[in-house]
Amino acid sequence: MTLLKVENLHVQFTTPFGIVRALRGIDFELDKGDIMGLVGETGCGKSVTGRSIMRLLDENAEVTEGRIIFNKTDLLRLSEREMHAIRGDRIAMIFQDPATALNPLFTIGGQINDVLRAHSPAPAAQRRKATLELLASVGLPDPAQMMDVYPHQLSGGQQQRAMIALSLAAEPEVIIADEPTTALDVTIQAQILDLLRTLQRERAISVILITHDLGIVAETCQKVAVLYAGRVVEQGAVAAIFAGPQHPYSRGLLAALPRPGSRGTDLKVIPGNVPSGLERIDGCAFAPRCEFVMERCHRLQPPLFSLAAEHQAACLLHEDRVHG
Amino acid sequence: MAFLSFLFRRLGLSLFVFVGVLILTFIVSRVIPSNPAALYAGARPRPEQVQEIEKKLGLDKPLSEQFRVYVGDLLVGNLGESYHSRRSINTDLRLFLPATLELVIAAVLIALVLGIPTGVLAGAYPRSPFDYATRFAAVAGVSAPSFWLALIAQFIFFSQLGWLPLGGRVSRDATLFYPIAAQTGFYLIDAAVSGNWKAWLDALHHLILPALVLSAYPVGITIRMTQASMLEVLSETYITAARAAGLSRGVILFKLALKNAIMPALTVVGLSFAYSITGAFLVETIFSWPGVGKYVTEAVLNVDFPVIIAVTLVVTLVYILVNLLIDLMQALLDPRVRLV
Ligand SMILES: Nc1ncnc2c1ncn2[C@@H]1O[C@H](COP(=O)(O)OP(=O)(O)O)[C@@H](O)[C@H]1O
Ligand code: SF4
Ligand SMILES: [Mg+2]
Repeated sequence: MTLLKVENLHVQFTTPFGIVRALRGIDFELDKGDIMGLVGETGCGKSVTGRSIMRLLDENAEVTEGRIIFNKTDLLRLSEREMHAIRGDRIAMIFQDPATALNPLFTIGGQINDVLRAHSPAPAAQRRKATLELLASVGLPDPAQMMDVYPHQLSGGQQQRAMIALSLAAEPEVIIADEPTTALDVTIQAQILDLLRTLQRERAISVILITHDLGIVAETCQKVAVLYAGRVVEQGAVAAIFAGPQHPYSRGLLAALPRPGSRGTDLKVIPGNVPSGLERIDGCAFAPRCEFVMERCHRLQPPLFSLAAEHQAACLLHEDRVHG
Repeated sequence: MAFLSFLFRRLGLSLFVFVGVLILTFIVSRVIPSNPAALYAGARPRPEQVQEIEKKLGLDKPLSEQFRVYVGDLLVGNLGESYHSRRSINTDLRLFLPATLELVIAAVLIALVLGIPTGVLAGAYPRSPFDYATRFAAVAGVSAPSFWLALIAQFIFFSQLGWLPLGGRVSRDATLFYPIAAQTGFYLIDAAVSGNWKAWLDALHHLILPALVLSAYPVGITIRMTQASMLEVLSETYITAARAAGLSRGVILFKLALKNAIMPALTVVGLSFAYSITGAFLVETIFSWPGVGKYVTEAVLNVDFPVIIAVTLVVTLVYILVNLLIDLMQALLDPRVRLV
């Protein structure tokens, strides 16, 4: 069942250098209870997508088109007051660097307590108990001691666990995790991803997992949307896409993944650069780097073509297969 | 524990600074005046007179012995005697210091109460009409000369409206009919302690204008400092995270952000407090406020070294205490500071 649906989302930023078109029509669906990956290179619009859903974009941002349907309501049409009631309570967010996402001057217990107090009228003793439970549920050792600890006294992994506890405080249905493991060591990364999977299973929380690492997607997600220059170029079940990527960009990304047994020299990197959001793009944004590029790729912007029940790709190579 | 050791280290440092200033003032007082005894004796003294005074002041003894006496006197709290008026400096300061402190503390409180919320809101709504209005007010407050503000304030609130008195700490009526029993020298405290509410109100009335005028600078600077550091703090990830967690705007601004943004404002207010002890003399003069500023200005004009040095030491002490307080506040606010 679809819980959250992003449709044709366009976001642009006004900057001194001109208008940056960060999102140029993002489409994807998050099913209830899934972990869905949003993957792509740095600057492709992953964080902007996440912040658009929370309606926490920077002041110079403007959503020019699109809808974000959550439980049948379009979040983009809610008043700020209505949206405020959703943040934390129904959709929560965790961030790339927990060291900067936690307030340095407040204890972990105090920060979680603030969130609890914002969302329920429970008395202080009950909030304290809830905080202890939350800290235990994210696998922090000695929750009672964690209450009075400041963020700088924790390791990166512990900080991210605390941040996850904080995001769980008001029992949200969706968690947007923006590169939650990028700032952490590899072994800690695996533990945090494990934790996210456990929470998803045990609490039926749906997760949008933003990452630039396809390896993480393969291990953690049921579905994935591959972003390129502010658009989704391929999406579907992780198994299907990893078995047979249908967009030249995702194919390139997968080929660049280190595989067991591969030597360093075998790694293929896609030549060329990502277009900047300042340029006007008429056709396929990937055309300048695509080895299959055709003449009409420069003119027509490829929509997402359905290739199978749970597999879509935005490449004109599939035009005939779909219509023919 | 970390906090206690932090406290002791800071106290040690303060002691070190104070001893430094002590030595410096001693050197200055014995080296700069070519002949202190002549100064003391007044115009055209006879040589025997000077010699007698030298003996009396201990100036005939070796420097090391003089320093011992100087420090010994200070240790028992004896600041000496004015060359000019021959009055005990202790007695004078007991009168003037509380008057100044009462005035300056009032000004600083006004600065904090008015400046911090204003700065928070200006920082929260950048480029709003409120932001521009407070910027203008802050710049005006910082750059307007205090004597000019004082005269304008007297013109409006005394001459035109007649709401507030022209100057002094209390009215003649209060002195005559319900005098304040001096204990601390802070009239608001003394009057309140003895339940003398008529005098309390009278003292408050007298305090308002000079305190407001004196607060113009710290208010302006508090607004600017708070606004600037709020602007910076509000762009931090933990603020986005707090918004994403559904915390209210009030909690985010006045609790989560302000705690991170308040330190620069507290620091400058603390320093302007210490500065105002002697720097308030224009305001004190215009409002006939019997304070340290006026006292030391006269001492400077009379080359009255013992008074200048006593006030220097007192102001040093205030600076040290204020700095200590600022450091302690920072350590209380920021757990990371206690580690350094
Ligand atoms: N506040 C902003 N002002 C201007 N451009 C922005 C702003 N925030 C993001 N962008 C642009 O939007 C694009 C997408 O950014 P982002 O979503 O952060 O990428 P990523 O996929 O790495 O998370 C980038 O080109 C970035 O420069
Ligand atoms: S549409 Fe054309 S340029 Fe774009 S990916 Fe497909 S083949 Fe390559
Ligand atoms: Mg990002």
